[in-house]
Amino acid sequence: MRLSSFLQSDNFSGWAFILPYLIAFVPLLLWPFFQGFWMSMHEWNLLAVTFNPAAKEFIGAGNYIRLMGADNLGWSLQPLWPFRLVVTALIIALYVRTLRSQATAGISHHFIAAIALFTTVVLLGLTGDWYDTRFWIVVRNTLVFVAWVVPVTTAVALLLAIALNREGRWAATLRSVFFFSQILSVTVVTLIWQLVYGARNGFIANLLAPFGIESPNWLTDDQLAMGAIVAATVWWSVGFALILFLAGLQQIPGERLEAATLDGAEGWRKIVQIIVPSIIRTVQFVMIMQIVLHFQVFGQSQLMTQGGPGDATNVWVRYIYQTAFRDSEVGYASAMATVLFAFMMLFSLIQFWVTKRQES
Amino acid sequence: MKLTKTLTASALALCVTATGAQADTELELARFFGDCDNAGTDVSTAVGEACIIQTIINAYSAEDNGVTIETLPTDWGNYYDQLKAMYAGNSAPDVHVMHKSSVAEFASLGALLPLPEADLRAAGINPDDWVDRARDAVTYDGQLYAVPMDMHANLWHINLDILDQAGLVNDAGEPILPTSADELMAHAKQVKDATGKDYLTADFAQFPIGVRMVLAMLWQQNSNVFDGDTATVNTPEAKQAVETIVGLFDAGYADPNLNYSDSQQAFLAGEAAIQINGTWMVDFYDSETANADSALQSYYVADYPQLFDQPATWADSHIWALPVTLKNDPEKYEAALDFLAWLNDHNVDWARTGHLAIRQSVLDSAEYQNLAHRDEYNNTVNIARDNPPAVRYSAIQDVLNRELQSVWLQGKDIEKALSDAEREINRLL
Repeated sequence: MRLSSFLQSDNFSGWAFILPYLIAFVPLLLWPFFQGFWMSMHEWNLLAVTFNPAAKEFIGAGNYIRLMGADNLGWSLQPLWPFRLVVTALIIALYVRTLRSQATAGISHHFIAAIALFTTVVLLGLTGDWYDTRFWIVVRNTLVFVAWVVPVTTAVALLLAIALNREGRWAATLRSVFFFSQILSVTVVTLIWQLVYGARNGFIANLLAPFGIESPNWLTDDQLAMGAIVAATVWWSVGFALILFLAGLQQIPGERLEAATLDGAEGWRKIVQIIVPSIIRTVQFVMIMQIVLHFQVFGQSQLMTQGGPGDATNVWVRYIYQTAFRDSEVGYASAMATVLFAFMMLFSLIQFWVTKRQES
Repeated sequence: MKLTKTLTASALALCVTATGAQADTELELARFFGDCDNAGTDVSTAVGEACIIQTIINAYSAEDNGVTIETLPTDWGNYYDQLKAMYAGNSAPDVHVMHKSSVAEFASLGALLPLPEADLRAAGINPDDWVDRARDAVTYDGQLYAVPMDMHANLWHINLDILDQAGLVNDAGEPILPTSADELMAHAKQVKDATGKDYLTADFAQFPIGVRMVLAMLWQQNSNVFDGDTATVNTPEAKQAVETIVGLFDAGYADPNLNYSDSQQAFLAGEAAIQINGTWMVDFYDSETANADSALQSYYVADYPQLFDQPATWADSHIWALPVTLKNDPEKYEAALDFLAWLNDHNVDWARTGHLAIRQSVLDSAEYQNLAHRDEYNNTVNIARDNPPAVRYSAIQDVLNRELQSVWLQGKDIEKALSDAEREINRLL
């Protein structure tokens, strides 16, 4: 009786609908995640453990402590230990007060907890030869990359979408042209852009040559390399954002745009005051998608600059890859991957929070 | 009765069919060296590492020896990452190339199959014919783990026309090369003043040619980057070596921004007198002299010059190894050894790339000694050096490459870079 009523209930239908996803999610995502977390608590050499499973050593949070060292970042407060202690105490007090007051709920708890943990470890100045001086450099590079790619891609895609949101053969053709880059693999994209950037016979070099201007070394100059990768990525990513914006723009009632025009809103004013507020949910969705996607940048850095010069374009996922496969330190690489997951989770929670706030 | 006859006939037919269609033993092979379009089986006409090795492989596969080889698609830059991933996934190739410098890592962790001398001899390989350095290259902890294929080293590839314009060619038509760091700068200035061209070019931006130059200069000063389990990077000798190279950049005699391909193009376009690169470029550059469009019409190749107290140049070896899992498949093991014997027999063909042969009988042969430009870098075999074996050699090389790049491409202070490199290498050792 109970079974038959369950089978006829909405609960059953709901579970039945998500079951195919769960079947794929658990073995392909959830299990590897927990396995990776377990590996992150071990000193685990890729080849050694393959041939001798007992070769791994449990080290608890050792890998996490190693990556928390921040000697090479400008904001490291290593020499100021009294200051560090005071700030750490303040942050802990703030965290405890927030928990007790329950004035804020949900995301803010996690957010402050994350900041407290991070700041405590960094400010306590856990330094020495054992820590990783490169991790925060690649985190900074990744943040710089994301900070450039996301707004630029969003802005370019939005402007293109507004320009192409009309009937006609040319608009349709151009929409296809701009979307075309999206279907290319990262290997093809980086190959195309290496041909563009080639200092000797590249596309830009050939454009500049008639004017007697020597092309800079886009991919080996540390002032230009990150910008070069960002430009290639914007070109690659703009198509998908464009399609989403076009879908959003088509939801704006025509009367609203006509009314704005009649009220004298044209050009930038119309975009900023009418169009963007009308599709703000799409803009947020595009930006969150881009953030999550571009935090995982790998191919552009690996194939265009090999992370160089020095570590100037080395990024988080490439560093994880190098640590796991070149250095064979799978345990440490898993710890970095777990922290990356936490970053991405943070952004997803922010998205969830923003959406919920708007709904309420 | 009829049924019995039918079944017997069917069984016989199956046996005959099975015998007649016995499949070749298939070996999966992994290698770097790049791709070769339309590689055939005629080794004698192949040029360049990729085409020579692939034609040697194809020629073996085409033989009536019951073995077929599938060359797996691998990428040069990520070769060792892919190889490790294959090992970790229990899908290691049946035979693969690697460097001498990686033997310590793979052998110490039990990934490579030790190769008993008796098995090698049974397959037709005579290890006594290998020169000592080649035997050392494949030996770890007293056991043989691979079959050596070459010794390769850094050389000075020279455009004689440019040096001639600068008055740096002697009456015998040989280049006049520097004998000290000061003379290096003087020669570079001489070339710049006379021709307006760079003195030398190399990949200082990505591939670790710059690291290998610094290593050579360290060894020339009787120094090294590590000694046992202690890094010795931050030394006056290392500073001297890096300052020598940076001096060339600062004076405009070399461009640190060129990557491998760009430095090669610069050399072929006659924009630099010398390219520092490996033995693997000799046959390619030699063939380019026949190209009317190339600015490289008068090519010479020289041993790495002695700039400090003693001669030395960076060197390594390409070797062929089998995964430890192959011991469970005697048929494949036998086939793999047979293939290694084929490679060993074609040592002189491989040496045509410019690499140094590793078999004494080949080194003594007229065919080897008559190879193009061979007499110009005869002494390389005597001055070749490499770091002592280190389990994490590739990571150490990466640290050096990154820190040196940060010096000449990002203006990092030399002592700070050497100090940072030393700290990281100490952790890796």
